[in-house]
This record gives sequence, C-alpha cells and structure tokens, in this order.
Amino acid sequence: MTHQILLAVVTVIIGVGGCIAYFWLSNLVLDKTFPPRGSNAAQNLRRSGRIRPWLFMAPAIFFLGVYLVYPVFASIWLALSQGGEFSGLANFIWLFQDPKFHESLINNILWLLFVPTMATLVGLVAAQLTDSIKWGSIAKAFIFMPMAISFVGAAVIWKFIYEYRAEGLAQIGLLNAMTTSLGFEPTAWLTLPVVNTFFLMIIMVWMQAGFAMVLLSAALRGIPEETVEAAILDGASPWKVFWRIQVPQIYGTIAVVWTTITIMVLKIFDIVFAITNGQWGTQVLANMMYDWSFRAGDFNRGATVAIVIMVAVMPIMVWNIRNARRERD
Amino acid sequence: MDNIAGKRGRLTWALNIAVFLLVLLWTIPTLGLLVSSFRDADQLQASGWWTSLSPSVQSSAARTGPPATQTSGLDGYVLEGNVFGDASGEVVTFGTTPMMPDAFPAGETAPRNGGGTLVVNADGSYRMTSPTPFEAPDLVTGETAGEPLPDRGLRVFITSTEAPDFTTGNYGTVLNADGMAQSFLNTLTVAIPATIIPILVAAYAAYALAWMSFPGRALLVSAVVGLLVVPLQMSLIPLLQLHNAIGLGRGYIGVWLAHTGFGLPLAIYLLRNYMVGLPKEVIESARVDGATEFEIFRKIILPLSLPALAAFGIFQFLWTWNDLLVAKVFLGNSDTQMVMTGRIVELLGSRGNNWELLTAAAFVSMIVPLIVFFSMQKYFVRGLLAGSVKGG
Amino acid sequence: MPPDQDSRFNWASYHEFADRHDLTGQSVSISGTWTAEDAVTFRRVFEYFEEATGATVNYSGSDSFEQQIIIDTSSGSPPDIGIFPQPGLLRGLAGQGQVTPLPDDTNDWLRANYAAGDSWVDLVNFEGPDGQTRAYGFPYKIDVKSLVFYSPENFAAMGYDVPATMEDLKALTQQIVEDGGTPWCIGLGSGSATGWPATDWVEDLMLRLNPPEVYDQWVSHEIPFDDPHVLAAIEEFGWFAKTDAYVDGGAGGAGWIDHRDSPTGLFSIPPRCFMMHQASFIGSFFPAGTEFGRDVDFFYMPPYASHPELGNPVLGAGTTFAILRDTPVAEAFLAFLRTPIAHEIWMAQTGFLTPFSQANLDTYGDPTLRGMGEILVNADTFRFDASDLMPGAIGAGAFWTGMIDYVAGQSAERAASGIERSWSSLARTGGIEEGAE
Repeated sequence: MTHQILLAVVTVIIGVGGCIAYFWLSNLVLDKTFPPRGSNAAQNLRRSGRIRPWLFMAPAIFFLGVYLVYPVFASIWLALSQGGEFSGLANFIWLFQDPKFHESLINNILWLLFVPTMATLVGLVAAQLTDSIKWGSIAKAFIFMPMAISFVGAAVIWKFIYEYRAEGLAQIGLLNAMTTSLGFEPTAWLTLPVVNTFFLMIIMVWMQAGFAMVLLSAALRGIPEETVEAAILDGASPWKVFWRIQVPQIYGTIAVVWTTITIMVLKIFDIVFAITNGQWGTQVLANMMYDWSFRAGDFNRGATVAIVIMVAVMPIMVWNIRNARRERD
Repeated sequence: MDNIAGKRGRLTWALNIAVFLLVLLWTIPTLGLLVSSFRDADQLQASGWWTSLSPSVQSSAARTGPPATQTSGLDGYVLEGNVFGDASGEVVTFGTTPMMPDAFPAGETAPRNGGGTLVVNADGSYRMTSPTPFEAPDLVTGETAGEPLPDRGLRVFITSTEAPDFTTGNYGTVLNADGMAQSFLNTLTVAIPATIIPILVAAYAAYALAWMSFPGRALLVSAVVGLLVVPLQMSLIPLLQLHNAIGLGRGYIGVWLAHTGFGLPLAIYLLRNYMVGLPKEVIESARVDGATEFEIFRKIILPLSLPALAAFGIFQFLWTWNDLLVAKVFLGNSDTQMVMTGRIVELLGSRGNNWELLTAAAFVSMIVPLIVFFSMQKYFVRGLLAGSVKGG
Repeated sequence: MPPDQDSRFNWASYHEFADRHDLTGQSVSISGTWTAEDAVTFRRVFEYFEEATGATVNYSGSDSFEQQIIIDTSSGSPPDIGIFPQPGLLRGLAGQGQVTPLPDDTNDWLRANYAAGDSWVDLVNFEGPDGQTRAYGFPYKIDVKSLVFYSPENFAAMGYDVPATMEDLKALTQQIVEDGGTPWCIGLGSGSATGWPATDWVEDLMLRLNPPEVYDQWVSHEIPFDDPHVLAAIEEFGWFAKTDAYVDGGAGGAGWIDHRDSPTGLFSIPPRCFMMHQASFIGSFFPAGTEFGRDVDFFYMPPYASHPELGNPVLGAGTTFAILRDTPVAEAFLAFLRTPIAHEIWMAQTGFLTPFSQANLDTYGDPTLRGMGEILVNADTFRFDASDLMPGAIGAGAFWTGMIDYVAGQSAERAASGIERSWSSLARTGGIEEGAE
C-alpha cells in the first residue's frame, strides 16, 4: 500500500516536473539558438516566434494524435475488415440488418430527444426559480450535486429506487412503494419495454439538469434589466415575460447546454451497462459496441458500431466547429 | 423577480415551495442511499428506508426447544420457551404454518394441525401443546435423505417488530472484506496524476492557440473542437494494443496517459476560451517591455487563468474519479488494481440484493467527489461559465 | 504448515507435489468468474499450492470475466491462467493462438482418471491456430444442473411430495398455486450474464423431450435454433416461467431477480416460493447456517412419463483451467490440479463435484454432494451445457438475451428465430469464434 502511494507521488513529481522541465528547457534551447539580441535579433525573433507555438503545443498534439486521432483511423480500418482482411462494407451490411442494432438506434434516438430536452427544460425552470428566492444558491448546490456522482454510483442509487419485490412483500424501492400505496400492483419497472428506457433516461436528466441550471442561470442574469421591466410595464404576465422575452435572449447558451448534453448522451454507456446491460429492449449503441467487442470478441463488428456513433456525432461536431469559428471572426 | 411581480407575497410562497419540492426531488435519491447504508441488513430487506425510524416488522420462523425438553401436563405434552431466545422484540401475530405467520394476534390460542394448541405472547413467550409426544420436525426427503435431527425443535411462525437498528458495520464490511479500502486508494492513485498532468499540457497549448499567431492555428482550434466528441469507446482497443506493443502494458502509467489524452480536448477548449478573454493590453504591454512568451505565460497568463484551471481541474478530477471504462481497460481487473467504480459494478453482480453493502460502497465512492464539489463549487461554476458560455 | 490438516486428504499427493516444486518468490496470476463465497473457497484451495511451492497466487474473480479475458488477450496482457466457465470461449481463444497447449499426456490422464473421461477429453480439445487438435484446458469442478431445490419442512407442512415425473411436477406447481403459494423462484439475473439460468431450463427440457442426438445437432447447429424441437422446449420452459402465478415476482420479476438471490425465497416466511431449478453450485448462496437435508434438499428434475424412452438424462457443466501465459508456476498449478488433494480441499467445503476417481469421496463436506454424485451415477444420458458449447456470441450472448426477451413477453418463434439469425450471420462472416463442429 505504501508502495502504491509512493508510486503515485513519484509519478506526480516526475509528470509535473517533466512537463515543466520540457517547457522550460525547450524554451531555453530556442532562446539560445535564436538569441533575440545582436545583429540578427529581428530575424531571430521571427524565427523563434515561428517555432515557439509548436513547442508549446507539441505535448498536446502528441496526446491528441495518439489518443484520439489514431484510434479513429484504427477503428475505420477495423470496421472495414474482418479477420485482418479488407471486407468492404460487409460489417455495415450485417449491422444494418441486425435487429439489436435497430433497437439500439431507436433507443439512442429516444435518449437524444428526451434527455437533452428535459435536462435543459428542468435546468431552465430551476434556474429561473432559484434565482428569485433568498436561499437560491443553497438550492442550486443541491440540484447541481448529482453531477459529482459517478454514473455507477447513480446506477446504484436509482436501481434501489426502482427495486422490485413480488406483490405482498414490503417494497423497499421508493417507486414501487409509492405505486403500491396508491393501490396499484408492484411492477418490475426496468423490465417493461420502452418504459424502462425512460426510467434510465430519468437518471441522466437527474445528473445533468444541474449543469444546465448553472449555465442558464448565469445567462438569465446577464439579460439587461430594462428589456424585462419594459415588458412588465406593458402588462405581460411573468410567464410570458419568461418565455417570450427572457428565453429568446439566451438561445445561445441554451444551444451550448443542449449540445453538450447531447454529446454526452450519444456516448451513454455506464448507466445502461450497470443497470440493465441492454436487456429488456434497453440496448444502446455504446453498450452494443462494448458487447460485440468484449463479449463476442469481434472487434471488427464492435468498431463498426463505434463508427456509427462517430457519424451520428459528426453533425454536432461540425456545428461546434462552425460556432467556434464564427465566434473568432 | 419578486420586486417586480405584483402579488408579491403569494408568489414568493409559491416560489419557495416549488424550489423546495425541486430540491427535495433531487436529493431524496441520494438521501435514500445514505440512510440505507447505515441500516441493519435484515431491517433494510423488511422495510423501506423512509420508515427506518419506526420499528420494523418482520416475519420469521423461530424454533422451539428440542423435543427432549418437552414436559407433560394436564393438556398433553408441552413445549415452552421464548421465540426471541436471548434477544428482544415484540410479537404482533403468529401462525402455525409457514404460509400464515399472521393468522393469530399475539396472546390468542391457536389450534395446531393434527391436534394441540399454540400460544405466542407479545413478549415472545410461547406454549405449544400436543396430545401425542413431540418428535423432530417432519421432512419430505429428496436426494440427500437426511435423518430428522432429534435435537431440532419445531417451527413457530411469527411476525414481530424490532426497534430501529442503525450500524456502521456495513462500511466496515465493504471497506475490508469487499476491498473498497484498497479500491479507494487505487482510485486516488489514478485520479490525482490524471488531473494534474493534462492541466499543464493543456495550459501551454491553450496559450499558444489563444495568444500566438502562427499558420494553421484556426485549423488546430477546429480540430480540438472536433475531437471533443470522439466516442471514447472506440479508442480503447487500438490504444491498449499500442500500449502493449511499446511495452507499457496495463498499469497506472497507461491509465494516466489515457486520461491525459482523453481529457485534453476539453481542457484546451475551456482554457483557450478563457485565455482569449483576458485583457489584451496586459499581454501587449508585457511584450513591449521585452518579456518572453514563456515569461508572459508564467507570470501573467497562469495566475490570471487560475479560475479556469481550477474549473477544469475539478471537472477532470470528477471525471477520472468516477470513470469506469478507462480504468477497466487500461488498469486491469485484479483485486489489487480495481478502482471503486469497477468494484461497485462487481458488487452489483455478486451481491445484487445486499443493498446495505451496495449503498455503503456507493457512498464511499461518492464522499470525495462530494467534498470536492461542495468546497470548490464556486470555482467550478465560474470557470465553467467563462469557458463554455463564451465558447458558444 | 498447510492451512488445514485434514486427515481425510491425500497428504501423500501433497508432499510428493511439494517435493517436486520449489517456486519460492515466483507468482502466478489467475482470473476467473468465482466471486464472493466461491472466491473464498478457491482461495483455500490455492493456499495449499502456495504452501507447497512457496509461490504466490494472485486470483481475481470477476462477474464480467468473459469480457475481461477478451480485452486481456487481444491486448496481449492476459493473466497466466484463465478459469473458463464456457468451453466455447476457450475454443475461440485457442483458435487464435492465445492459449498454450497442455502437455501431451493430458488426454490420457483424463481418460485414465476422470469418470466418463472421453466426454471430458472432447470438452477440452480444440483446434489450434495450426489446425492441430490438442488439449487446451483442464476441467476442474463439475456442476450438475438438473436439480430442483426445496425446503423439506415446508413441503411437509403443506403435505407435498417430491414429484417423480414432469407431469407430477406440473401438477404440484398448480397445486401450490391453489394453496395460495408461489411454486417457483426463477431468478434469471446475473449482472452482465443475465439470462443464462434460462438456458439451463431450456437445455434440461430439451433432453427430456428429445433424444440426445437432437440435442447434439442443436449444439452443433446442424438443426436451426428455431427448429420445432427447440421451440417445444422453450415453450415448455415458458409454461413455468411465463405464468405470473407460478413465479416469485411474476414473469417480469423472473427476468429481474438475481439468481443468487433466488434461494432466499425458499427460506423466507411466508415462503416466496417452494422450488428452485438450479445447478449444484448454488449451495454457496444459501443463507449462512443452512443445513442440507434439513433446511433444504433437492430432487432430480424429473423426466416426462410420456417419454419413457429417454430415461434419466442429466445436464452438467465443468469449469476449465487454461494457460494463457506459459510460466513455470502456471504449469505447476495445472500439475497441482492433478493431485487428489486439490480436489479434496474443495470437496470438504461446498458446491464442488469432481469426476476424479482418486479423490477420497469421504471428504465431501455435506450429504448434498453425495446425493448429486448419485444423480450422476444414475444418469442414462449425460450432456454438457449447450450454451457453454455454442459460440460465445450465441451461448454467452444471443441465447441469454433471447430468453430474457421471451420471458418478457416475446413469442418463442420470434425469440428463437432472432437467435438463429445471429448464429447464421456469424457463420457467414466467420466470426472469430467457431461453434462446436
């Protein structure tokens, strides 16, 4: 155990020290090679100015290249091959005919429609409500809290809420306790097709609404007071003021929140993996990929599913890039 | 809003109640987890956690003393004793068959199948009579064909209440027997370097992308934004193969590197957005004064970017602490390496119904993130806002 | 000194082994599916190995072993030894060249020392990457699957008898419902392996409705998965599992409840169920202090009176040890498994059966295991778990999910044809795991 702590401490020192040493030394070398003094000062400055950004970025580019770009190409090759030999679109043809893929696709679309929308909506309402009361910041902290919890932790929390016991037994799951006290039969919620996907999605909304709330609350507070007050003087109800005047002014932030959650949802894995493992019709693409890669041991098919996820994320990626560019111009 | 809305009093009330309900809705799940993790295992199985402060009701089978302890009295053969033995409790109802532990209220005299009577009183004392001598319990023997044990008593079925019982024993069990203590350390070992290293790497890159001009900058920024959305899952196998090919294998160094790589796009994105917004004059004047880029970065940019650095630091820490997949693939699954999330998934499988252990384990894994979160929430929010709102 | 000096153990074999192996300071990593109680028991077994050789054993048990081992091998970082619950998975890895063949005398040893040795030889011999068939695994620990567990006292209290035929069993099922009880605990949950207990049901019923030849054709995919023979067995399983009143938690609960929690239903008051179909290993999951023969007993899953020609078939499974990274300690460990004492240590505890004829039968820790041994002896037909023999994507994937979908409401035809489609699509692209030939 002490060995492990020592290892971690040494790594932090080596890692941090290494990083600092790299930046410091590389700068030193650059400045020595092209001293910004003497007869060639101007030329040297220009030269070092051309090289320095790359020195600053080299480690980042290395990591991005190895850990994110390379795997994309490796996966594309895997998806287009079978047993090490090029197989064209055979894997995709198989995939598009696979009923489990259809199920995953439909579920992913459900996730995409429901979770970002609900999280944003709840976040918006929570932002508006908490901003107008005295203990708003405390309330915010509690609503934001699930963000700190792991997907696995959340899975335990919610699996317990959905826990099911046969009729006649004491229900220790909150949901079934409520339904039975209302006189309904206890239900194994997570085995009910379609409904169960919604129960899984609620977990994600629970975790992400706080994030939406925090960003949206800041945006709402950034709206100039005058526009709101003018509307109220015109006799608009608070409801109308909120939806007609305030919300349109923060569309930009809403879009950011919405896309951020959407990206997260597309990659949703842990919740499904830990709670239903894709059974009872709750399969999603990321878990299907995991299943094929690590359960069936077929990396080619696993990569094929991954490519589909990639392609699905692509529009958001493009949208993000365009936004980033527009902002710079 | 309340200063401009007309019906101030009522609206404020409604608002407060609405927010209170929302907060309640959002905290109840976690509260249930916390309460359950301190409950006695049997009570947790017998009643919902929201009733944990009231006595719990359980049905169970108690055994009489062995037939050898019977006495004979006026009403035939008699077995007497207390269903609770040395423990205490209160019998509410009892029965003579396993299907009906609630057939008779405590104190009433119930007829037994095949003659005789049974009384169980509220304090647990019982009296069982029979017209014929008591024998060891009847068994329907299958393949094992055991002889009835002569020293085994007959079953009495009771429904009893027990005082609420809270314990910290569940934590002891998960920490030691189920290995959460080791996993806690493993998670810590993964998370700290995996948080610090990407911050450093990203800070330099973000500065270059924000304040240095060079050809290809726009393209690089776009690339970083694009890489934000690459699904992590597809990277796992190619990278693990790479790690093995270069002799890194599986272990902490691999996890740290992987987390650094996966965390970088967000780090660069957040930090660059923040640094772009820093006042231009400060940097320009420093340049005019002859400060090198390295000095500007170290003496001006880093201190000014502290909120963003902190925000990303918290973000990355939570992410690496809570991660399941990266650790599962790059670190390995052995007892000495498993992180807490992995351990909990194992527990969900092997102890799926032991909620007292699952909840305790989950809470152990949540303590540090919650502390970090609540103590540093301000920085987190500030950095998040600066980074992403502007970025949109 | 060894952890426990049990005089029933074959100490000669221990000392002989200890004298031949000195591996002080070395270590071996072993991965398998045994967790919780099973892991504790297995630890007791390898403590003797550690004591004898001075080597250290690092065992890690995981519920998701099947997935982890694929990650491990394909990335080139496997444990030294893998304990495979599914020969199908091992077959795939052996074909890829990920497994070290065992010594050439393994097959002869199995034939000479294991009861029904030839069937064990068939189970662990696979085609390697060079196309040659060799022994790649060593079977250790056998489970009998065709068992129904019940509480003898509850049966006596309700006046029920152990059924001798499947028809009786069905009548008893209905009788229990009439008496206001729930007959069955059918927990199909098993974490990431959810659904497998259903495959045991179907396989047991397959063997009771069809001649063993049909079972073999089903396993080797000579008949399609949606063949009428298979459908009949699935629907017979559905008779039990898909009738809400017959199952603790109803058909919906059956899919949800974990198979390791199912046993508690037999012992609760009032009983949540009266019977549970499970394999012999389930003894590890009974509440602490449960006495076999008194608190719980089991009967052989009976055959149909309407199919007298099929006799008494028995379904079984065995876990297989294989060397994934060839080290002296790994080899020594496999050699250790050939000593009687390695079997006796676990026999003395619970949930372990062995076909090893040199192991001392008196060491069986409880009468259950002897009873199970009797079932084995009385078997007219012995077959291995079909799902273990099918390719991993089917036997550890589509079959499981298909059965969950079936219990959740899908028709047998639809569930079976879904599995069949997955299987034939495997054959087309030549997935890395070929089925049993």
